[in-house]
Amino acid sequence: MIEVCELTKRYGSAVAVDGLSFTVHPGRVTGFLGPNGAGKSTTMRVILGLDAPTAGRATVNGRPYQQLTRPLHQAGALLDAGAVHGGRTARNHLLAIAASNGIGARRVAEVLDAVGLDSVAAKRVRGFSLGMKQRLGIAAALLGDPSVLMFDEPVNGLDPEGIHWIRGLLKSLAAEGRTVFVSSHLMSEMALTADHLIVIGRGRLVADAAVTEFVEQGSRHDVVVRSPRGGDLAGLLAARGAEVTAEPDGGLAVTGLDAATIGDLAREHGISVHELTPRHASLEEAYMELTRDSVDYRADLPDYAGKAA
Amino acid sequence: MTAATVSAPARARDVLTSEWIKLRSVRSTYLVLLSALAAAVGIGYLVAHADATHWATMSAADRAAFDPVYDSFSGLGLAQLAFGALGVLVISSEYTTGLIRITFAAVPRRRAVLAAKAAVLGAVTLLAGELAHPGALRGVLAAGFYLAVMAWVGLGLGAVIRHTAGAITAMVGVVFLLPTTIHALPAPWDTRIGRFTLDGAAQQMIAQHPHAGYFSAGPSLLIVAAYAAAAIATAAFVITRRDA
Repeated sequence: MIEVCELTKRYGSAVAVDGLSFTVHPGRVTGFLGPNGAGKSTTMRVILGLDAPTAGRATVNGRPYQQLTRPLHQAGALLDAGAVHGGRTARNHLLAIAASNGIGARRVAEVLDAVGLDSVAAKRVRGFSLGMKQRLGIAAALLGDPSVLMFDEPVNGLDPEGIHWIRGLLKSLAAEGRTVFVSSHLMSEMALTADHLIVIGRGRLVADAAVTEFVEQGSRHDVVVRSPRGGDLAGLLAARGAEVTAEPDGGLAVTGLDAATIGDLAREHGISVHELTPRHASLEEAYMELTRDSVDYRADLPDYAGKAA
Repeated sequence: MTAATVSAPARARDVLTSEWIKLRSVRSTYLVLLSALAAAVGIGYLVAHADATHWATMSAADRAAFDPVYDSFSGLGLAQLAFGALGVLVISSEYTTGLIRITFAAVPRRRAVLAAKAAVLGAVTLLAGELAHPGALRGVLAAGFYLAVMAWVGLGLGAVIRHTAGAITAMVGVVFLLPTTIHALPAPWDTRIGRFTLDGAAQQMIAQHPHAGYFSAGPSLLIVAAYAAAAIATAAFVITRRDA
């Protein structure tokens, strides 16, 4: 379990994290989402005791990280896959980390095998691809068989096979009852992996909800209806309490009634329906909507396009 | 998850083991040690050989002042730089790669990491110093100790500055530029201040006949040790106060 309470982190005058509170529970994959620069990595560093918070606190399994004895047995983290000495072999890199927490060579061999790097264990890390370095970083996080795992953007640089592998790994770690906390700036990735989402923007909490709730909370969903007697149908639907708006192409956007009810209602009144399409906002759209106000740098369309002509 | 039953000494040993693995698992360690040994042994041999050749033609005064141990350490100038660089690299390479975050996440007691790095550096350096200069025990021990001090000064500077190039530049300043500048001062200030420089004190610590105006071996050793202590203490002070 990870608890973050009223956490604020300033670097000079820049506020990276601003009064952030959330809890990451065991037994599920929790996605940590936000645009680049939202404060995800900073929050993770504070949780690991690497950066000191300006205010507030973070605990791992109920204790501040710095107070953990042999912390790798409680929490494992992958922050930056590039954080390795290129001249060291994969095995020696892991042996050095493992030794600091009293973990032996046998466990190092196990994690190398678990991430599929056993065949290159004696190779210097300098020659590794980003994907291999990600696997090495994950191996390091797994060394102490910890109950809490944190991964910062773990799918960056992985090939499709690697991405598939890491999704399975995250889910199986959570299924074993561990706390799994994974950051990403890509909603599409989190939609496939996470059970729960914590969304931040500009260092503040934007949403903390199950993935399914998130879609409903983040955006409306409606039903598009097309009928030659659109006007009549709109009246009937409105009488049933639905909210009906006309789409630019002549269809009706209906909220408050599901597609089955709309279809049955049309049939009862002998109104033919040419299209009946439930529309759900994708997670991506919900995410965009939630974080729209908190993106630091946004590409605005230039408004001089017409003037040039 | 039996962390609660682990005793404190065992943890210190764990951190030492970890730092020892780090030091012995990169090529730069061996390169630095080899080049230092080559410089120390090679130049030392050349100077001693020249002395031996000229012995027959030396004046009585020159013969009285002849210090075979001191002369055979002439190669120390390059060796000290190499060991200082080794000390810098042991921590600056972790800062430049970001590995320091993995290290501090594994061992949140950052001063324990610093102490373990200092300990393994000291052990390796004293050993290497002994290998380079067998015999002439006091001078050899002093030379080994001096090289260890160089490594510790490097470690301290590396931890404070956190960039390899910057820390090595600072070290060259302390070891070469500062003594050279002070040496150029008018007498008696060249020796009055010069005897407190790392280089000046180290020479008196190693030499068999102290130079006029400088401290004898004992106080010189304390001055040399103070440089290492100051560098490590500064590092220990800042290391827990800065974000990793």
